Amino acid sequence: MILNKESSGSRWRTRPDGLDKVSGKLQYLTDMTVDGMLVGRVLRSHHTHARILSIRTWKALEIPGVHAVLTHEDVPGLNGFGIAHPHQPVFCSDRVRYTGDAIAAIAADNDEIAEYALSLIEVDYELLPLLDDPEEAMKMDAILLHAEGNVLHHTKYRKGEPEVVFKDCCHIAEETYWTPRQMHTYMETEGGLFIPEDNGRLTVYSATQHGLMDRIQLSRILDIPQEDIRVISSPIGGSFGGKDELNVQPYGALLALRTRRPVRLHNSRAESVRAGLKRHPMKITMRTGCDDEGKIIAHQVRIISDTGAYATLGAEVLNFATEHVMGPYRIDHVEVEGFAVYTNNGVSGEFRGFGGNQAIFALEGQIDRLAEQLQIDPWELRRRNLREYGDLGPLGQEIAQTDGAFQVWEALSNSKLMDADDSRLISKDQHMRNNEPWIVTGTGAAIAMHGAGLGYGIPDPAGGRLKLAIDGKIEAIFGYEEFGQGLIATMEQMLMEQYGFGADDIRIIIGDTDVVPDSGSSTASRATSMMWMALKRLHPEFTATLLEAAASLSNIGIEGLRIGPGGIWKLDEEVLVSYSELARGLTEPIVCETKFNYPTTPHPRVGAHFLYTYSAIAVRVEVNLLTGRVRITDQFHVVAAGPVANPQGYLGQIEGGSSMAVGFTLSEDAVMSEGNYLTKNLDTYLVPTIIDMNGKIEVQAIEDLPDHDTYGPRGIGEIGSVHLAPAVASAVFHAVGKRVSRLPIEPESLQETPFIPHKAVKIHAG
Amino acid sequence: MPDKSLASGDVRNNTFTLNCLINGKAISTEVPAARRLLNVLREDIELSGTKRACEMGRCGACMVLMDGHPVNACLTMAYQCTGTEITTIEGLSEVGLHPVQQAFLEEGGFQCGYCTPGMVISVVGLLGENPQPSQAEVEEALSGNICRCTGYGGIMRAVNKAIEREG
Repeated sequence: MILNKESSGSRWRTRPDGLDKVSGKLQYLTDMTVDGMLVGRVLRSHHTHARILSIRTWKALEIPGVHAVLTHEDVPGLNGFGIAHPHQPVFCSDRVRYTGDAIAAIAADNDEIAEYALSLIEVDYELLPLLDDPEEAMKMDAILLHAEGNVLHHTKYRKGEPEVVFKDCCHIAEETYWTPRQMHTYMETEGGLFIPEDNGRLTVYSATQHGLMDRIQLSRILDIPQEDIRVISSPIGGSFGGKDELNVQPYGALLALRTRRPVRLHNSRAESVRAGLKRHPMKITMRTGCDDEGKIIAHQVRIISDTGAYATLGAEVLNFATEHVMGPYRIDHVEVEGFAVYTNNGVSGEFRGFGGNQAIFALEGQIDRLAEQLQIDPWELRRRNLREYGDLGPLGQEIAQTDGAFQVWEALSNSKLMDADDSRLISKDQHMRNNEPWIVTGTGAAIAMHGAGLGYGIPDPAGGRLKLAIDGKIEAIFGYEEFGQGLIATMEQMLMEQYGFGADDIRIIIGDTDVVPDSGSSTASRATSMMWMALKRLHPEFTATLLEAAASLSNIGIEGLRIGPGGIWKLDEEVLVSYSELARGLTEPIVCETKFNYPTTPHPRVGAHFLYTYSAIAVRVEVNLLTGRVRITDQFHVVAAGPVANPQGYLGQIEGGSSMAVGFTLSEDAVMSEGNYLTKNLDTYLVPTIIDMNGKIEVQAIEDLPDHDTYGPRGIGEIGSVHLAPAVASAVFHAVGKRVSRLPIEPESLQETPFIPHKAVKIHAG
Repeated sequence: MPDKSLASGDVRNNTFTLNCLINGKAISTEVPAARRLLNVLREDIELSGTKRACEMGRCGACMVLMDGHPVNACLTMAYQCTGTEITTIEGLSEVGLHPVQQAFLEEGGFQCGYCTPGMVISVVGLLGENPQPSQAEVEEALSGNICRCTGYGGIMRAVNKAIEREG
């Protein structure tokens, strides 16, 4: 199905959070204010790498209007945070490792006073050698950034004997690929409001992708029980993985508890760039060999990932990249080795695609290079190597079987973009006959198999609760967060379609640790699948209980009743008992709860996935030879992710993911020099605008799953963003005959000397 | 010397009384002359629909209409607002949703929604001057508004619907 409003019919619904968003009424957590509120600010390191000799705060404390100045001495509990490895200091005490490192925080009456007071904090440093290159940091004599060494994580996967088999290869492609330090660039920067309540509890209004995880971490830092902290974490103005780690929360919480006043923090964009997470820059070296039929038989990979000063999810991202450098291909002899390395650069962390983007760019580049050597169509070469139904996953693990890889391959082959195969053979000479001979076009394609969920060996709980509330609303209570992806809309649509409720009957409650059960995090393309599975599990009990309650009120047997909009219906006739009547007739509310885990592979290989989404993409590009600029004129995405739970959300996720990938491919790089960001704001960090995205995008959704499949819709939050770069690189090669191995594509690498008329030169020379 | 006809107030503290219309309401407030309109709106008069994002005029999240023209509230100083009529996102829907907002709602021209107020303002500003813009004119008018979520597909469909309805 080509996914659009027309093909979706009545399933194209207005989002329940839409009215408040388009009217500007929606209060994000950074919009909140309360009387008597102070503003919080954080002092960050002046240096990329230095020992701290002393910190003097007394001058700042003397400024009228300053209510607190906190340093490491004021952290009652653990002076560290991090989802996987809580070693990023809340406040540095003896050493700074990057310029985003926090040293002190201030609460003041207003921004001006806070700013001035910040300037009065004196820190004495002793400079330490800078490590801004992961390969330098791996050397034996490099200064240690952390006691355990500069390698945060090392992955190794091996099967067969690649070095032996390379000798039998007819063709071998060897290349090194570089990917950029991409920035999430959520439009709402980090921030929130922190309120010490009269009853001694602390309320945290601040964005996150997992409120319960924030609560655990804040409890450790503040040394107060989790129950004394309430985290309210939606709505969020974008995250894309970037707000999953704590950011302003420790400072807001500490300042609020110290001053006993509400404190608001809201990062400026420049502060957000400096302190916030980025996508891991990776250098991926690959050697890939095939036989004379194009069967890939050997594949060797080395990944160097720059994780920056602290771990966050650097190890997990590297695990993901290690799994995805083999992709949806059957390769008998493989060796992958990866290193996530600490440096004094900005901290890298979780970002939509989670290391898949980098891996897939490199892998698909290899396939194209081999196809060129074999002189066959690169798309055909993919078919010859594609995994088949029944094959194990990339790490040799059991996976939920679908025919997704072939489905997307075939659908793309039949697309207009690929069908215009003759267009793929148009030579540059033919383009020269156009009116604008400096514009050349090309078509390219790529394929991806992208894992969802956290993977084997990482706790990945899910669950939720349904309740008939006292006022007659059907409450769906889940521990997820809405950061724009349309989770609330998808949940509403599932409740309507799976259960038969009307939109007005439903109240969705998320993002409040005081009331939600643990549903796991809203990451890793997992939430839609988990909501669907939870509602499936809750269905028999919840509907039976509602119908029984209605039956006992109406004296009609449950076989004569059904769930419908507005209440319980007498089969096809009319509403017999409204939900509010039902609620009033109850002595105890009707509540059903479920708890389960995200499905994982039984193979004990940490991080290996079980559920995958498949996608293929074809793009058509124009390359301007004078400027070297690439413009994407057409994109065709085929996505095999099971049933479309919410057409508007699905289309939006693919279109939006693709736009993020356009940035990754063509313009986005948070450039650092000697550990300092040269790109500090959106004047030099170039996110695609509407002009950059003015090409045509079509999305085809393949919904079939095998009859026995019980897992329902697969995640689509990341799949739109992972394979555009290699498709564009392939199209650029088709257009200009130059191979791209570094992102974002450097225009100067594609520029050609303008055509100079001979005559003019002769006259000049004469 | 500050121009007394435009500015009154405590000149020593570099403040003045800003007199302007905001969403049709007369506002008179004492602010530093160089205070940005963004802060005046969000903090002083608590209209949080105008969003803070890049604060250097590149993303358009803080767009408002000044005398009908879209401006970045982060680049507009309070003194520049004297005697003008400012319309924020809140002002567009005081009597029901504006047709542009309605189009965004129906077409799903938003996801996280943080860029939406600025985006809507830019579209309203454009259609106010040119009710039947070409595709290129729409793209140019919206090139100062960054949306990180939608890939602009939904936004373009919403704008086209709004144009269709205007016609």
